[in-house]
Amino acid sequence: MMVNGTVVALSRIQFAATALYHFLFVPLTLGLSFLLAAMETVYVTTGKPIYKDMARFWGKLLMINFALGVATGLTMEFQFGTNWSFYSGFVGDIFGAPLAIEGLMAFFMESTFIGLMVFGWERLSKGQHLAVTWLVAFGSNLSALWILVANSFMQNPRGAAFDPLTMRMQLTSFPQLIFNPDAQSKFVHTSVAGYVTAAIFVAGVSAYYMLHKRHVELAKRSFRMAALFGVLATIAVITLGDALGFVDARVQPTKLAAMEGLWKSEAAPMPFNLIAFPSQAQRRNVADVRVPYLLSLLVTHSLTGTVPGADALERQAVRRIKDGIPAVQALHVLARNPTDAAALAEFDAHRKDLGYGFLLERYAPDLNDATAAQLERAARDIIPPVAAVFWSFRVMVALGLLMLAYFVITVLYTLRNRIQRKTWLLKTAVWMIPVPFIANEAGWLVAELGRQPWTVFDVLPTWMSASTHSVAYMAFSLIGFVVLYSVFIAVEMYLMVRAIRLGPAEHGDAGGPGPQVRPSLSPRPLPAAPYGRRLEG
Amino acid sequence: MRTFLYFLLYMVIAVAVIFLAAVLGAHGAWYFAWLVGTAMIVLISAAGGALLDTQEEHAAQQAPAERDRS
Amino acid sequence: MELYAILQVTWWLLLGVLLMGLAVMVGMDMGVGAILRYVGRSDLERRIALNIIGPHWDGNQVWFILGGGAIFAAFPLIYATAFSGFYVVMLLLLWTMIMRPLGFEYRSQLASPAWRNVWDWVFLVSGAVPMIVFGAAFGNLFHGVPFHFSWDMTSYYTGSFLGLLNPFAIAAGVLSLALSAMMGSLTVMNGAEAALFQRARRLAQLAAAVAIALFAICGLWVHALDGYRLTGGPGPGVPQTPLQQSVALAPGAWLSNFAAHPLLWLLPLAGFAGMAGALLAARAARSHLGWWLGALAWIGVIGTAGAALFPFMLPSSTDPSMSLTLWNSSSSRATLLWMVGFAAFFVPLILWYTSWAFWVMRGKVTPEQITRGDEHAY
Repeated sequence: MMVNGTVVALSRIQFAATALYHFLFVPLTLGLSFLLAAMETVYVTTGKPIYKDMARFWGKLLMINFALGVATGLTMEFQFGTNWSFYSGFVGDIFGAPLAIEGLMAFFMESTFIGLMVFGWERLSKGQHLAVTWLVAFGSNLSALWILVANSFMQNPRGAAFDPLTMRMQLTSFPQLIFNPDAQSKFVHTSVAGYVTAAIFVAGVSAYYMLHKRHVELAKRSFRMAALFGVLATIAVITLGDALGFVDARVQPTKLAAMEGLWKSEAAPMPFNLIAFPSQAQRRNVADVRVPYLLSLLVTHSLTGTVPGADALERQAVRRIKDGIPAVQALHVLARNPTDAAALAEFDAHRKDLGYGFLLERYAPDLNDATAAQLERAARDIIPPVAAVFWSFRVMVALGLLMLAYFVITVLYTLRNRIQRKTWLLKTAVWMIPVPFIANEAGWLVAELGRQPWTVFDVLPTWMSASTHSVAYMAFSLIGFVVLYSVFIAVEMYLMVRAIRLGPAEHGDAGGPGPQVRPSLSPRPLPAAPYGRRLEG
Repeated sequence: MRTFLYFLLYMVIAVAVIFLAAVLGAHGAWYFAWLVGTAMIVLISAAGGALLDTQEEHAAQQAPAERDRS
Repeated sequence: MELYAILQVTWWLLLGVLLMGLAVMVGMDMGVGAILRYVGRSDLERRIALNIIGPHWDGNQVWFILGGGAIFAAFPLIYATAFSGFYVVMLLLLWTMIMRPLGFEYRSQLASPAWRNVWDWVFLVSGAVPMIVFGAAFGNLFHGVPFHFSWDMTSYYTGSFLGLLNPFAIAAGVLSLALSAMMGSLTVMNGAEAALFQRARRLAQLAAAVAIALFAICGLWVHALDGYRLTGGPGPGVPQTPLQQSVALAPGAWLSNFAAHPLLWLLPLAGFAGMAGALLAARAARSHLGWWLGALAWIGVIGTAGAALFPFMLPSSTDPSMSLTLWNSSSSRATLLWMVGFAAFFVPLILWYTSWAFWVMRGKVTPEQITRGDEHAY
């Protein structure tokens, strides 16, 4: 069962690359669909056609983004089976269910109604179309819900137990699975991060139009709606980030230690490493800037709470690995004879540390003669790559606070209807567009890199989870993905920028000079009413 | 300057809301909060959009000179 | 029978229904993509063909995603073993499939003929390759797949990519392609007029004839293949691993279920009747009737394969007793039960709103709708 280390590494790179890529498109869909619902709600309640123009224009951009989100989502669904087959067999009984329910409950709804949303403007009544738009928004976010329920099982495996009869983890409580605290806070955090992403995107593109004095009426309204949407969403995303940290402190102490660069356990109140340069080899921060009291306040919401550092966690891991050895050994017996009573009793006594036994198997394939050095090595593995997690976390938080400040200012100006005159702020808004995307990616890294060395926390180590492919197969697939995805992103960016430059082709206001598009980009004169998803005939 | 003060004021409010929600949310039912919160965010955003039309109509009734004051 | 065994059979049947849904709904879109260059001679005609499935391809594609999700949830070992074993083929399927959503959204964004031509080729490849892979995967099940497990259920695949391209699998792959081309043609007929309609009508008849021939050939061929037979093991409704059963090989054993239950012959009969009916309906220009008969053909073909293989789902050629059956690869009782609950609620709901979506977008797609430009057409 030793999977080649290079294959595991390549599988991890491939999964991370395709997941990060997929996650470039998903948050925008999550948020933009609700912004569209907001715009169309105004249209239906006030009857002002400009809001319909807005819904259609932003809907067109949504579709360009959505196509790639759907396409790259297919990869994710395949990849558990193609590249993580041991993982899929080991926890598929629990992990597969939310994915299937996602299809049944959410993805069908989103995908069926998005077709009607785009094609149904003339065929549906106003109210029907509004309902369809809301269903798309709920569908896409419910989709995220079930994916994150599945993901949270990897972070904090609840509602499942190992069954020696089938040699895998099995569901024991479905409610525990879906009401996992990690799932609750992570879903809201992620969904709302999508709202922020969409708000910054809409505000940025609207600012671009206002700067160029194009489509000013549409841009002003879009900007205001995005700013209000964004400021509330940013407050929520920070709140939920805090809640998630609070959950992690209890269920994933190793992740928290990595996020905070905590090598040594300390007494309460613990100081916060504002800046630090962690060294994995030396087990310490080479340099740091600390804020007293803050860490205890942040992660335990009290001045007397503490969280363990890497040193204490490694000591604990040594104990658990020792306890896990008999569990793995009993499992070897049970694999041959599932009814061996002695082995069953031995397994039951040590089952909670089975995963730690697996950790050691990486270095000592025969657990009977594991050395102290091998045990030490396995115990050190439980600390994720600290520098990467620490800095990803800092980047995410810093950008989150930056976006909060930005939205507070923009709300201020847009509520006074003066935003169109604040050139500096409009320019900032355009430059803000990449910020949430970077924050989203950083957040993914914190969550998933911080989970290492496990695929299922405390249960299944990453090194065991991968499929038994050859290096050549992995090289082939990785190169294929890189080539294909590079072409995709180039095409998508080109079409997105082009659609933004062309702008909403027709609406009520005198929006200044027309689209300033290079001739090569504008193959035909624009027809009379070409917005929606198509630009030319 | 006035804008900066407003900025500070609203930042303080935002931080206060985060603090409150963090305390309340330590044991909170987040799925429900998401549902309510999303509806609220969408509706406030929609109301903000509609308000703009009212503001513009109001501004249109004022003398042009007065509009330029700000 | 114990509840667990009933749940296992229920999920085996539900998976069959999902695969049929996938074949009918995704197959028709894939078919339209694959025949696009043939039936549509001008850009306008191709756009009409694309816009016939335009409002629905996205929803239809979820049948595929749901099929994958249901295998994962209900039969995790099948998902894990098949997806990793068929690695290169799965990647081909995936890479071609993920181009298709982009084709729909991006093709008509630019007017350049070269741009659109590239995407039309993408439609051809992303329509034909997945359907061939889909059929060939089924074909390989009858041969057995070279995999085995270690003590802890790590699966090892020992075959090569080319080994999956054996003649029987290719025949099954082409059968699948022919059926989807037939369904694609009938779908185009449903929504198109004039020359486009006529070309689709000719193609539907041709594809149906090819499908009838291949289905018959595959059926006769199966007699000569070594079939698998479960000779011992814990049996239905007992938690187990695939290391605890014994399996024997015998020529023609894939037909033993039909011998034991003659009513099962209705399935291949439905397949032939559906194909022949679709052919005649296409000839008579009654495409809606033909579409439903084509769906019946898919149900018959997949039902036939499932009935022949039962209870096997992924036979192993390396060590036949490690073959995956629905008894040894299904999820636990609790998972299957929860999933049945969700499926019972959501599948009827999905069928209801999907039908509504088709009803809203019913009728022909006319050239005026495309050129007018306000229909947000692809």
